[in-house]
Amino acid sequence: MAGASMNDIKARIKSVESTMQITKAMELVATSKLRRARERVEASRPFCTMLGKMIDTVKGVAPLAETGWFSANEGKTLFIMIAGDRGLAGGYNSNVFRLTEMLAGGKEAIYLPIGKKATEYLRHRGRELLLDYDILAGDVRVGTAHRLSRSVCDGYLEGKFTRVVLVYTKFQSMMTQLPVYEELLPLGGESTSDAAGDPIFEEEPEEMLERIVRHYVSGVIYSAVCESLASESGARRSAMNAANKNAGEMIDTLMLKFNRARQAVITQEITEIVSGAEAL
Amino acid sequence: MNKFPLKISTPEGVKFDGGAVSLLVKCTEGDVEILAGHTDFVGTLATGRARVRSEDGNERYASISGGFIVVKGGEVMLATDAFEYADEIDIERARAAKENAERKIRNAANDVDLGRAEMKLKRALNRIKVYELK
Repeated sequence: MAGASMNDIKARIKSVESTMQITKAMELVATSKLRRARERVEASRPFCTMLGKMIDTVKGVAPLAETGWFSANEGKTLFIMIAGDRGLAGGYNSNVFRLTEMLAGGKEAIYLPIGKKATEYLRHRGRELLLDYDILAGDVRVGTAHRLSRSVCDGYLEGKFTRVVLVYTKFQSMMTQLPVYEELLPLGGESTSDAAGDPIFEEEPEEMLERIVRHYVSGVIYSAVCESLASESGARRSAMNAANKNAGEMIDTLMLKFNRARQAVITQEITEIVSGAEAL
Repeated sequence: MNKFPLKISTPEGVKFDGGAVSLLVKCTEGDVEILAGHTDFVGTLATGRARVRSEDGNERYASISGGFIVVKGGEVMLATDAFEYADEIDIERARAAKENAERKIRNAANDVDLGRAEMKLKRALNRIKVYELK
């Protein structure tokens, strides 16, 4: 009987060990991916800031107030929801989902998911999606962001939706990733002419503004995807780190149990031998 | 010569941040050279070459594909998707891209594909041209 329980414990230790091997490997992969993703985040941030500054410069011109990029009309909201392509990253995906649901507040909305998990989540709930094809977060390049920006801006100008909100995970540090949202359109702030006078426009200001806005939207999407990818690796690293720790503790307890069981078997055998000898 | 603050950003990182004495870029309406004291200006960039003269007298050529240039209060901002200095250009890749684009132009089934392929060819040719300026 004692032998059987020893085998049971041995089997459990083996299974925990093999799980630990996987989580360990995943932690290593996440750590190395995180390094690259972080570099990408740091590189993409200034670009976004600059496009934002350019819009600030341009929007001071009076006739631009009528272009529709600034005014908020009643209508549906488009949520661009950026999550990961895979699970096992702690609360990374579900945090984004929860924040989006909270912002949507049960109202009818259109969604643009980026990342396999985000697409699956929305499709499962039968939400209205902007695009009929899926986008993997890991595949997003500058060109992809331009394509997405075109769909978003065209939809906005056609009036399919009147507000665009971007939900993603901001990468703050290795340990903290924050689910955040950003109002992308209409453009915030007052469109007031500044005293210094209008800049010289190479083309019609309206046209230039539209081009800059389209570029800005794609820049923000690209940068948000970079932030999200880095956050995903960070979240996965933390989750796998915790899993490793738990597995280690579990193995320790099981080892203790195993040793106790083995000792019990030995003690019993000795008792049997001694009592057998005494009987002689 | 007078200098002005210039910052060049791409999604892949900042390519220039500091004092410059001249920036020559190709806008959609033609070449524009920015010197210190330029009036406020907003322009769209075409696929073409840029020349940056930094305050230490260093002159470098680079290839640009699209983007914007904004001059505001003497400060110059340039945002573009791709900015490569001549010595950073992967010439083998550019040549391969050129051949690829030419093949696509020959086999293009519709105007959209043709337009895209032509843009690709333009960018590849621009890179090759800038590379030769090195």
